[in-house]
Amino acid sequence: MATSTGRSLVSHDTQKRLQRIAVYLTALLISVFTIIPVYVMVVIAIQSPATTFAGGRVNLLPTQPSLRNFLVLLGSTDTVRYFVNSLVVTLGSTVLSTTIAVAAGYGLTRFDFTGKSLAARAVLFSYMFSPIVLAIPLYVVFSTLGLLNSHFALTLALTAISAPFCIWLMWQYFQTVPIALEESAWVRGASRWRTVRDVVLPVARPGYISAAIFAFAVAWNDFTMARVVMSRDEMYTITVGASLFLDRVSIGWGETMAVSLLISIPPFLIALFLQRYLLQGFSVGGLE
Amino acid sequence: MATSIHLDTVRKEFRTLGNTHVAVDDLSLDIPEGSFTTFVGPSGCGKTTTLRMLAGLETPTSGTVSFGDEDVTDLPPQERNVSMVFQSIALYPHMSVRENIGYGLKIHGVPKAERDERIDEAAEVLQIEAQLEKMPAELSGGQQQRVALGGAFVQDPDVLLLDEPMSDLDAKLKSDLRVEIQRLHQELDTTVVYVTHDQTEAMTMSDQVVLLRDGELAQVDPPKQLFDYPNSEYVAQFIGMPSTNVVDCAVEHRDGETVLVGPGFELSLPAGVDAPTAGRVRLGIRPQYLDVGSAGACRLSVDVEVVETLGTESVVHGRLEDGTPFDVVSDAVDDAVAGDRLDVSFDLADAFVFGEDGETILFGSERAGERSSSPAGTGGVTP
Repeated sequence: MATSTGRSLVSHDTQKRLQRIAVYLTALLISVFTIIPVYVMVVIAIQSPATTFAGGRVNLLPTQPSLRNFLVLLGSTDTVRYFVNSLVVTLGSTVLSTTIAVAAGYGLTRFDFTGKSLAARAVLFSYMFSPIVLAIPLYVVFSTLGLLNSHFALTLALTAISAPFCIWLMWQYFQTVPIALEESAWVRGASRWRTVRDVVLPVARPGYISAAIFAFAVAWNDFTMARVVMSRDEMYTITVGASLFLDRVSIGWGETMAVSLLISIPPFLIALFLQRYLLQGFSVGGLE
Repeated sequence: MATSIHLDTVRKEFRTLGNTHVAVDDLSLDIPEGSFTTFVGPSGCGKTTTLRMLAGLETPTSGTVSFGDEDVTDLPPQERNVSMVFQSIALYPHMSVRENIGYGLKIHGVPKAERDERIDEAAEVLQIEAQLEKMPAELSGGQQQRVALGGAFVQDPDVLLLDEPMSDLDAKLKSDLRVEIQRLHQELDTTVVYVTHDQTEAMTMSDQVVLLRDGELAQVDPPKQLFDYPNSEYVAQFIGMPSTNVVDCAVEHRDGETVLVGPGFELSLPAGVDAPTAGRVRLGIRPQYLDVGSAGACRLSVDVEVVETLGTESVVHGRLEDGTPFDVVSDAVDDAVAGDRLDVSFDLADAFVFGEDGETILFGSERAGERSSSPAGTGGVTP
């Protein structure tokens, strides 16, 4: 019997080779669906429409790069304003959401209070809401408070979407931070606040960077909340603004892809920039 | 400045879901200033909880804790001049070894130059000078433990608390660090309180051993006293390796003599012994005090099951004829193998007699008058 002698039908080397082929095939398949759309976006964005559509078909090998699409965006649309709006509310919401998450996560793991498990369950429950469920109630709230069309209101609305998950994340993360680290600092004379600053936050850095990245992604890619809270053109975020371009006659594929490329830049920078911190953070967290 | 520590009917209860668990049950205790006191006992006996109350990390449910004349019961950990080494070592992973050791000094506003000087001094004592600029993750377990110790004593605490600091280290490192900690204690003007479940650590390091059982005090005495005069069967069995043999005996009276009848042996007690006149008692005899052969007054035979050779001596694990487990430590049993029957003997002077409630009712040595040491009861410790 093949199994009784420890040999299988295919040799060990063949198995390894098959395994590698399977990995490459999977990787290839994934890249087809991720890299190709990005490539198409970039190519259309950096060619003028004339070049792209020359000869009655879509040319996807860039021959004449030009900044024409970006110049059109700058010249005849409010792209810059939308972009700034997006940056403002995204930054605000990321900071707010991460701060709430760190405070709540610390509180949920370090203090005992009545209703603690209820609070924790409420957080998980609210995480399951789709943004659209919150949109109308929030509209009513902001309308009543006279906050519609303000960065502040949109920041709060975006935080409402991202905070539950961020809190849950930090809650889980703080459970992995040994309380002995804090106790050791207290015994050495550090106040609770000083301990949070010197010990808890540095050790929890991988956790809150992950939370911040999530909050950033939610806020930057948001469409629903911006559409509901902002009704004046000059307050639109870049996602809402870009979607409106498609309705205009004067704006075509080229400009839309150009604005898409602009939208992709901040997430790309974040991934590039924070990768270092994330890796560093993980190696620190790996000590315990 | 070292300080004495006084616990007065300290009680700690933990409540979870309507259950009340008494971790420390009305414990009263004096720890002399500058002494090395060890809390020992099995897991869950309340030793770590007691230590945490000394640190201020737990507040007693009732009772008072004082350092010297100062009542510190409700003082937060920040306001007590104590240092603590945690079981999990608890080094800050994001700080270098130097920063780890100096963190307490930094909190107290010690200027950088002086801080560095004291850190270097501490590192020299602990032989970790070469590791000062490394991160904790780069150190071995023993080095991490030394760093934790350094961080604790560099602050010159009144009380140094150590919570099972060696439980994760291997045997060789343990014995090295044991010596190191004792040397530190001699150099420092500090009261050391050490928690361990390892009776060897307790016996080898301490001036005074506090043996706890279910949150209550079982016995407080210097190690030698604890070994020679355990006040209960629990203490006799906990202290000493291997554990004290305990054998059920019937008490009989014959011709005015009190005789203990055990499985395969009889032991007559001398006249005037304050032993029960009937019923049952338990006889305790340390494996080290058994002689192979028949030199002792009382002889019995052991069926050998396992022999552990330790080099200069061997530990024989066996059973008496009624199945009671019985261990013998001797240097004359090298050729014993499982299945052998070993004849051993002992003298009354080396035995303890425990009443049915587990209290020691007789120390053999007191009756036989062979040892000159004073009876148990005083916990005198010289710092």
